[in-house]
Amino acid sequence: MQSNQSIRLLSLARHLIRRTATQASQQTTGATGAGAAESASSSSGTEQTTHFGFKTVKDSEKEQKVHEVFEQVANSYDMMNDAMSMGIHRLWKDIFVERLGPTHGMRLLDMAGGTGDITFRYLKYLANQANPQQRPSHVTISDINQHMLDVGRERARRLGLTEEQLPNTKIAWQCADAERLPFEDASFNAYTIAFGIRNCTHVDKVLSEAYRVLQPGGRFMCLEFSHLTNETMQWLYDQYSFQVIPPMGQLLAGQWQAYQYLVESIRRFPKQEAFKQMIEQAGFDMVSYENLTFGIVSIHSGFKL
Amino acid sequence: MANVRCLQKLFRLQKLLLPLHAQTCHLASLHRQLPLAAASLARGYAKDATDKTTGSTSLEDFRAREEQLERERDAAEEAAAKATQNEAGSGGAGGAGGKQQESAEQSAKQAKVDAIRDKILDAALEHVPQHGWTRQAIVLGAEQCGYPSVVHGMFPEGGFALVSHFNGRCNAQLVQSLKEKTSKGQQEVENPLDFLVQAVRQRMEMIAPYKAQWPQAMSLIAQPQHASTALAQVLTLVDDICYYSGDRSVDFGWYTRRIGLATIMKMTELYLLQDTSAGNVQTWEFLKNRMDEAVQLQMALSQTEGMTHTFQRSFNSAFITARNILGLGFKRN
Repeated sequence: MQSNQSIRLLSLARHLIRRTATQASQQTTGATGAGAAESASSSSGTEQTTHFGFKTVKDSEKEQKVHEVFEQVANSYDMMNDAMSMGIHRLWKDIFVERLGPTHGMRLLDMAGGTGDITFRYLKYLANQANPQQRPSHVTISDINQHMLDVGRERARRLGLTEEQLPNTKIAWQCADAERLPFEDASFNAYTIAFGIRNCTHVDKVLSEAYRVLQPGGRFMCLEFSHLTNETMQWLYDQYSFQVIPPMGQLLAGQWQAYQYLVESIRRFPKQEAFKQMIEQAGFDMVSYENLTFGIVSIHSGFKL
Repeated sequence: MANVRCLQKLFRLQKLLLPLHAQTCHLASLHRQLPLAAASLARGYAKDATDKTTGSTSLEDFRAREEQLERERDAAEEAAAKATQNEAGSGGAGGAGGKQQESAEQSAKQAKVDAIRDKILDAALEHVPQHGWTRQAIVLGAEQCGYPSVVHGMFPEGGFALVSHFNGRCNAQLVQSLKEKTSKGQQEVENPLDFLVQAVRQRMEMIAPYKAQWPQAMSLIAQPQHASTALAQVLTLVDDICYYSGDRSVDFGWYTRRIGLATIMKMTELYLLQDTSAGNVQTWEFLKNRMDEAVQLQMALSQTEGMTHTFQRSFNSAFITARNILGLGFKRN
């Protein structure tokens, strides 16, 4: 696809030129936009605004914009994950599922499951465990974007992780909004959300919905990009994020803005301690967090007791 | 000569100043206190110097004084805390009151979580004979209590959480029974050695139901990441046993006695694992023999304390004599 590649290279060059010309002004507007967003969302104006990366958008718009972003990246999502994190995201997800410790009989809701990375690890973990009492396990993969779910379903079929091939397992694919879940109260005993919660407009609503659908004793686990503990490493990470990732997105997937949004949204997410407080406010007990790779990602965990 | 006269002048000056000081009220009390303090100090020093054999009585006085002081300090703290609470309640200075509420809420939450953890682990102990000290036992215990299996995430250390919970429970039981036997450490223990043997035996008997899985538990305890918790539990247990057996020593023997007891306990535990006799009678014989050996060792060490000094001195003098004969140590000025 020679012409495709040359088109991408041309657009990459155009983006780079545009970026160097307006970089300074963009960053200052981004900073003031951040300040304005915070003050605006706390004021009782005509409409609440929130952050979309470093921009400020209306609450109602954010969902649409996030939907657009993931529509565009769905096909190359997994490939880009590997490229951006140099494959380390696989280790993060492996550790995440290890911390959850799936056992037979678990009912998992994999929110923002999209292409199914966490679900597949969950199914493989269960397949490696003996099930002498033949206890049935459930998993429901849910995402706001149907396109991501379709990609996930296709992957599952290719990997052979379907209901027919795995005994005593029920797999459901459901398109749903994390702030308004179509499930009954206390219908799951584990809720995971990996790299999805920072895209949600109202994180507190997501947390309270998670509390609602969990059984007493259920566990909430969240894997998300977070803030580094070391200032120098944070600077290095920022350089990598802002200088390398969007051009890489343009080159490999033809999407600059989507990956610009991605790295900006990581910066806007609250820090580990603040997010822990939010989880506690939603009603969860024994809330803790574990930093991976110096704090690039963090696993938050809480129990509904 | 000049110094003596200076001194005499100083004494006369002091005698002159003393009545002046006595006129001011607060210094008058000081005047009254100082000689008293000096006298008590002198008494204290005299006691330390003369009677070391009756050290226990002066120690009791010292302890009683310290405990009295601590009680006064606690009462003062409580009064201060109540005062600030009243201020916060009436004056509406919610800062201190709010913080107190928050910490009370947090401790209530923590208590709730701890109660659930204890409940799950107690239920899990029933499954240990079949599944060992593992996450599987915790999962079964949790399901028995009505919680979903995912709560095993509350115990990230896995099997060791179960082991340390069991150990803690057994230790608490033992301490309770020792307290009752000695009525909270007040009653005198006639035969401390026998008391120790009984206490260790009682503790070992609590392990007996889990004897087949105890090697796994010991391997979990030996892991370095759990070393701090395991060590803390063993040392507090040994300290409690020695305290209730009547040990109130404040010298180096405090350490040696406790470490010795911990060693004997570990040896007995290991012996118990491979004991196949009925009612583990061989283990209790083993324990008795180790205790006797420890006592013999202690007596031997205390007897040779004098001997080692004479050994050292005689060796030293032999060395100097030899050196002189050979002419090596000769100093030429």
